[in-house]
Amino acid sequence: MSIFVDKNTKAICQGITGTQASFHIQRSLEYGTKIVGGTTPGKGGSMHLNLPVFDTVKEAVKETQATASVMYVPPKAVKVAAREAIEAELDVVVSITDRVPLKDMLEIKAMLKGSKTKFIGPNTPGIITPKEARLGIFPENIHKKGNIGVVSRSSTLTYEGVLEVNRADMGQSTVVGLGDDVLIGIDFIDALKAFHDDENTKAIVMIGQLGGGFEEVAADWYKNITNKKPVIAFVAGNAMHFGHKMGYAGDVLTNGYVSVLDKADILSSAGMIVVDNVNDIHLELAKFK
Amino acid sequence: MNIHEYQAKKILSEYGIKIPKGIIAYTPNEAKSAAEKLSKTGPWMLKAQIQSSARDKGYFIEKDRGEGGGIRLIKSKKKILENAKQMLGATLVTIQTGPQGKKVNRIYVENYIKVEKYFYMSVAINRVKGELTLMVAPLLYADIIKVALSHPERILKIPLSIAQNTKPEQVKEVMDFLKLPPRSAKHLENLVNGIHKVFLQTDASMIEINPVGLLKNGELVALDSKMSIDDNALYRQVKIACLKDESESSEREVNASKYKFTYREFDGSVGCIVNGDGIALAAMDMLKEKSIGTACFINVKGGVDKDKIASGIKIIMTNPRVEGILLNILGGFVRCNLIADGIVAAASEVGLNVPMVIRFEGTNKDIAKEILENSRLPVIWADSMEESVEKLAKAMEEVS
Repeated sequence: MSIFVDKNTKAICQGITGTQASFHIQRSLEYGTKIVGGTTPGKGGSMHLNLPVFDTVKEAVKETQATASVMYVPPKAVKVAAREAIEAELDVVVSITDRVPLKDMLEIKAMLKGSKTKFIGPNTPGIITPKEARLGIFPENIHKKGNIGVVSRSSTLTYEGVLEVNRADMGQSTVVGLGDDVLIGIDFIDALKAFHDDENTKAIVMIGQLGGGFEEVAADWYKNITNKKPVIAFVAGNAMHFGHKMGYAGDVLTNGYVSVLDKADILSSAGMIVVDNVNDIHLELAKFK
Repeated sequence: MNIHEYQAKKILSEYGIKIPKGIIAYTPNEAKSAAEKLSKTGPWMLKAQIQSSARDKGYFIEKDRGEGGGIRLIKSKKKILENAKQMLGATLVTIQTGPQGKKVNRIYVENYIKVEKYFYMSVAINRVKGELTLMVAPLLYADIIKVALSHPERILKIPLSIAQNTKPEQVKEVMDFLKLPPRSAKHLENLVNGIHKVFLQTDASMIEINPVGLLKNGELVALDSKMSIDDNALYRQVKIACLKDESESSEREVNASKYKFTYREFDGSVGCIVNGDGIALAAMDMLKEKSIGTACFINVKGGVDKDKIASGIKIIMTNPRVEGILLNILGGFVRCNLIADGIVAAASEVGLNVPMVIRFEGTNKDIAKEILENSRLPVIWADSMEESVEKLAKAMEEVS
């Protein structure tokens, strides 16, 4: 078991004929992911990586019955690609692209209201269910099958979280990167909920960071559920002064000032196990073997 | 990207928002003639154009820069030249600039406007809700950030549509919250719709009008403004992109931005090379635990070109603050071997004169190791982030 994607998930790739897309789709295919086709406007009817290419997502879905998509498109094209995927009512859409304009993301967030699509990213390494499906750019060789869920905002710390699971001699049920941007599709709550519903996930590693209020609302959700699975959390950015360019200036005003230490306190009072050092995660995980 | 106050005000005025009359000046003489053009008798405001809050409470590093900080009320024409001379070319320090301050290269000369009361207004993005938010608050000389911390209920927050104008009932809500007089109703509607429109049409990430001044006749004037534009949308905001003031950034920052790498400077001694902001934050946290500060970090995420990566690494190697280099690359998109090539190229050009600890993980890690071993550069290897920090701390101690 896993969350969002598994060995039966049929996925297409939007922007399949691009260089990076080709490199990563080839790797995902070798990993066993059921990639069934792709889209590149104007190249419909051709074949690429032995897969059928379509002009639109709608056609691709009709022909292949895909329920997921991974997009490797330029920043300017993300909004249009997202609209196509959301209108085709795909279950899961992964957007790898970074540097997506904020206003475009505001529009995507509006499209997602009331839609069933789980939009992962942008600026994410994607989602991987070890040995089953890889939608994104994960270095697949670091992942091991197991029952720890991993969710992180930062891409690189997603990998760090995975390595910590391995260090505890455990493996991952599913690993999902939420994305590093000011605005993101799904958030911690969506991932935590899914991990709680997944029988195979025994514990969860959650990696947050300075800025935004995503950790706080997740803590609030977690506090109020019964049958909690253990969550080992780390929040990066303690060494950073607030107000430095790393943060998003609007955060203070829209959410109130929350430092990394405040965030850690909020998570731990909600019942999560908070570590101060990302490389201590494996020590806490080992207790749940 | 941030723009200057006078640039932000000009944009606001293009969308129908009232601003005081003003002229930008680069020399004391320009300031003098600007003041003469604006008004016969004054008073005038002289405002240092650096991108920072609390310029009025700032001070100049150089001696003999007269009374007052970066924003001065000047009542007599004779004093304009003197004050402009004191401010231009001097270095202004505020709570936001750091102790090194920022050089004032231009001042904005404005007509002083007498107002009845002030309030705060801004538009920013609520990240958790994924929507635009209008914020207003009455101002009683308090810093708005302090208000947000101590009395969040004193700030009214209203979600704004991304497709339509501000709704009349929302404007009414703001009216009531600020207890504005009925004669201000039309002006408020104009102001709120203006800031809302500017935000969407300029790809802003935040606009602040702090304060808005209420005139006796009910008119509302933007007395100060800060505007940040989304860097990722500058390609379609060509006019605004030209407003970038490179003197606001260090030479190394300007250089890094050419390669689209994130580069940040702090006041410590370690240079970090990473491929994600999150891993930079985590590395800085670990260094801090060992009482070591970070001098700078560069995020070479997305780098697929060896020469670009080498240029990025050179920025770290040539930063005079850097006494040790910590490299943590978890290759997914970024391939470790390209980073290794970049290190070798950079070191052969500028030399590697400080301890450097390297930790590679992920895509092409083994090839990367081989490249560096063949180069015979004296790098230290680590297998985890924690180990990399420990080894660097030890190596830096041995050097000193």
